[in-house]
Amino acid sequence: MSHAEHVNGELPHEPEKATLEGRNKILGFWLFLGGEAVLFGTLFATFLALRGQNNEGPTASELFSLPITAAATLILLVSSLTSVFAIQALHRHNIEKLKLWLIVTVVLGLCFLGLEIYEFYEYVAHESFNMKTSAFSSAFYTLVGFHGAHVAFGVVWISLLIAQLFRKGLTVVTAPKVYVSAMYWHFIDVVWVFIFSVVYLLGKVG
Amino acid sequence: MTANQQSNEGPTVKHRHRVEGPEKHIIVFIFSIVLTAIAFAAVAAGGINTAFTIIILLVMAVLQVFVQMGYWMHLKDKGHLMPILFMIGGFFVASTCIVMALFWVWW
Repeated sequence: MSHAEHVNGELPHEPEKATLEGRNKILGFWLFLGGEAVLFGTLFATFLALRGQNNEGPTASELFSLPITAAATLILLVSSLTSVFAIQALHRHNIEKLKLWLIVTVVLGLCFLGLEIYEFYEYVAHESFNMKTSAFSSAFYTLVGFHGAHVAFGVVWISLLIAQLFRKGLTVVTAPKVYVSAMYWHFIDVVWVFIFSVVYLLGKVG
Repeated sequence: MTANQQSNEGPTVKHRHRVEGPEKHIIVFIFSIVLTAIAFAAVAAGGINTAFTIIILLVMAVLQVFVQMGYWMHLKDKGHLMPILFMIGGFFVASTCIVMALFWVWW
């Protein structure tokens, strides 16, 4: 019997919490997310303090487009729901559905990234709004770009986990990894809620 | 005999672990969509005074974050005291940073 299996060869009810290592991983990851909240808090603080300093470059209300922001928001929200479905499949020990929902999540993450890259490209190429334009532009690219980098990292991470699920299957070793990656993905969505509210919608208000 | 008893117990033991259905997560999703739509509508409609719009945006964002962290990240489930403390700690320091940055730059 392999180390990863339960005593009777069956997966326990909640495989991500079946081992001490799994439970510690989840607890440790919460501590990390608390730190991430502080990290994004400092970037939001910088952005909020500098968002009016456009240095004669484009202002927030000239630049942002509500339809693109709404599309990005919808994509990320749906991807958060699909990762909930992935964890439900994990709890049902349904590895095929688990892999399917994780793949859908990754694809939606890639769509979000594509939209963000298109948006940044438009700003740089057609609006002459780049990192060095103004204090507002630097704060904007740092905050939103950092969130985008988190999405990119999540896409790579979850893709690797899918590959591992294909190779090793669902065990008490792989389950905590999937669970923790889903927590990370939800957290990215939570940060985006503040970004679309504070950066884009507030930018439109003025 | 023992083997028989075990196989009889099997289904009941499994039955005790009821796996939650997708319904409440879909409700959270619809709730999130509605909150997001209210925030976008408040801005797209225009004409509402700025201070009031900002309040709407913040209330919608905070509500949505609460619901998603409670249900999707399972913070409402029992045994999540430490994670809740970590997140409250994180959000407390984050909001202190924001308030202080605005204070020192603009007051």
